Amino acid sequence: MAAGRAASEPGRASARGWTRSLSWTNPLRAVWWLFTNVRFAIVLLVVITLVSLAGVLIAQKPVNVRGDTVLEAEWLAEKDGMYGFLTSPMDAVGLFDIFHTGWFSVLLAVTVVSTAAYVVSRFPGIWAAITRPRKRVPDRYFDQAPHRLRIEGTVDVERLEAGLRRSRYKVERWQEGEATFLFADRFQVAQLGTLLTHAAVIVFILAAVVSRVDSFSSGLFLAEGSTLPVFPVRHENQMQVELVESYAEFAPDGQPLDYRSDLAIYRGGEEVLRCSSTVNTPCSYDGYRFYQVAYFGFGAELVVRDTASGNVIYRETLALAMRSPAARLRIDDANGATLIDRTVVLPDTFEINDEPFHGGLVRLEDGTALTLLLPQDADDGDELLVFDLGDTPETLRLAAGQSVESHGLVFSYLGLERIPAGFALDLPLPESVASDGPVRLQMNNVIYGTGTTSEGTNVDAPSGGGEPELTIVGLTSQAATLSAGDSLLIDGYEYTFEGQREFSGIDVRRDRSDYLVWIGAAAIVIGLMITFWVPRRRLWAKITRGGASLAGQAAGQADYTSEMRRLAVQAGAELAEETDDDD
Amino acid sequence: MTDNATDLPTPKRRSVVRRWLYPAAVVVAIAAVIWWLEAGGDGGVSSTGERYGPVALPVALAPVGANVSAEEGALAPDFLLQALDGEETRLSDFRGQPVVLNFWATWCGPCRKEMPQFIAAYDAHREEGLVVIGLNLQESESIIRPFVDDFGIDFPVLIDRDGEVGDDYRLLGLPATYFIGRDGVIESAFIGPFQAEERGTNVQGAIEQSDLEGRIAAILGSGEDDGGG
Repeated sequence: MAAGRAASEPGRASARGWTRSLSWTNPLRAVWWLFTNVRFAIVLLVVITLVSLAGVLIAQKPVNVRGDTVLEAEWLAEKDGMYGFLTSPMDAVGLFDIFHTGWFSVLLAVTVVSTAAYVVSRFPGIWAAITRPRKRVPDRYFDQAPHRLRIEGTVDVERLEAGLRRSRYKVERWQEGEATFLFADRFQVAQLGTLLTHAAVIVFILAAVVSRVDSFSSGLFLAEGSTLPVFPVRHENQMQVELVESYAEFAPDGQPLDYRSDLAIYRGGEEVLRCSSTVNTPCSYDGYRFYQVAYFGFGAELVVRDTASGNVIYRETLALAMRSPAARLRIDDANGATLIDRTVVLPDTFEINDEPFHGGLVRLEDGTALTLLLPQDADDGDELLVFDLGDTPETLRLAAGQSVESHGLVFSYLGLERIPAGFALDLPLPESVASDGPVRLQMNNVIYGTGTTSEGTNVDAPSGGGEPELTIVGLTSQAATLSAGDSLLIDGYEYTFEGQREFSGIDVRRDRSDYLVWIGAAAIVIGLMITFWVPRRRLWAKITRGGASLAGQAAGQADYTSEMRRLAVQAGAELAEETDDDD
Repeated sequence: MTDNATDLPTPKRRSVVRRWLYPAAVVVAIAAVIWWLEAGGDGGVSSTGERYGPVALPVALAPVGANVSAEEGALAPDFLLQALDGEETRLSDFRGQPVVLNFWATWCGPCRKEMPQFIAAYDAHREEGLVVIGLNLQESESIIRPFVDDFGIDFPVLIDRDGEVGDDYRLLGLPATYFIGRDGVIESAFIGPFQAEERGTNVQGAIEQSDLEGRIAAILGSGEDDGGG
């Protein structure tokens, strides 16, 4: 039948546009219908919401695990306890990595297309309604309109029109026989608010896509004075980040108060930016943001120089991330004068009765040597052993906070400290040095935060004060301790402790979807404001000698009949006999 | 009416502007943006107006059909770069001399560790004509210079500002070292650090200094009969 009709009416189909010319069996037409269907869009949004909720409630694979087969297997094994036999099928369908699955991307893409199709399909109609409104309605509409008003008696057309114009209506008037018709229109452009809101949804989803495809993030861990590239090896946008200075402030109880990093950014061989970065106020250059995300205060800069050539052959700032026990000791003489009051580093290891101990040597001014020992895994409850090597050797056992008198001296163990320690794995060693392992480093009297010594603070390793000292174990037969700037010369190699250095963790990020998110947010707010708060109105009036009929359209739940009544009264109408319906 | 009549040509001019000038302006603007983006990453221009970066080998040094690429047995790709001291250096200028081309950066720990080996090798073999080139990847002069002074680097240090030479040599990581014979052919290439034979410098993935010496000996002995390529 359809074919016969088409054959009998050549040219009709083409005149109605290609979409209308396609039959419902046409897959393109079916797809178009599906994408422009509001119910389908709602179903999509509900599905996305539920899936996103699942992505929040179900543990998702951490970034460092994703893509690493071994780590993923270990991570999934952990989840077996919670999800049991469902773990494997859940992983197979991507429920542990929902936001990176292909089907989630497809879901987002379909939503974008659906929303875009909705906007596109509605736009011509809405635009036509705005620009080419129906100005003349059939007489029966005055009896059926959602908002209507019948006025018996004389209505002053001029005053009605003037009243409408005062209320910001655009008014058109014409005469048909004895009847005068008015068409008045206000804020019709506000109909675009709905489309703007929908467009915002598209922009948001596009922002998510851009963020996923284009976003960049790189973590740099920099020592003061060092430089690291933003991208590994060569990159067209390659930049270097130099940590010029790292700052940190701590409260007396050890709580961090403020972190800040002074950075210099280089690109193409030039310094392009010098700035200060904090956690919440990053530096920004060419769309990249440089956030401070970490601080580590216990670095030791060590330099090795070949004395023959005078060249530096090693310059590294080593992060001393381990902790080593040390003893806070005070020794007073019989007159009450303090001979020693400091943290004693225990660089050596001993075994006594198969028990491992950390040990260190203390020399008094008179040449007396004392050996201090603490168990290798010492805690605050362990005793400090002091071997007094005087004329009558004696072993003292001191609990934390305890004082004992011996040989006319008062020994006070003020407590255990755990000082920063680490290894210098690649330290160049002269041939003469016989080392049975990597060189070990321990740093004493460390400074907590920039310019704030640990005096007055109560963090886990309060220091006895003084300048930072680096104890190097493995270079010489006995551990060597260097103050900042001190050097140690061993067989043509000069080892210099340059001082304590701080580290900053800098996160470099770029996410150009930020702009889209802002645009989308603005669009959705403006769209919703226009939709809900701009009072758009449309009014038709037919005025005859015996009275007037008014019909109106208003958005939402507006009581437009009352507004029409007010307009009519302003126009001099007497509303004694009126019929109205708000429906 | 008269006014309307005299105004008639104006819309016509607007029409021409809209039809031709506006699109032309858009095209020019797009072209300008593309040109700016392309030129933005420029590694600089030499005193002769030549662009720093990879350059074609002079015809006299590259026989027709010769394989020019960053692989063993091929002619080393040529480049023109500015040295730290401002001098312009072209790799092909060293044809006839054995060249050790070391890609490095100050941020690269293994590069720092192996640098003393190259300094020592250069000092040991410079009299034999060995050329060592330290090719810094995309760093600033203000970062490189203190390092060079500190470590006492006395061989030429060139700066690949936009990394195009690194691209030409298909760098996947640093350090990377190419050993180029007197005939301009890459004798061997090594990705990773060389380590000193002293104990303690156990850089992961490093190979011994003796291997560096061996590779240098190979290029010192290469093409001595027909040296000068």
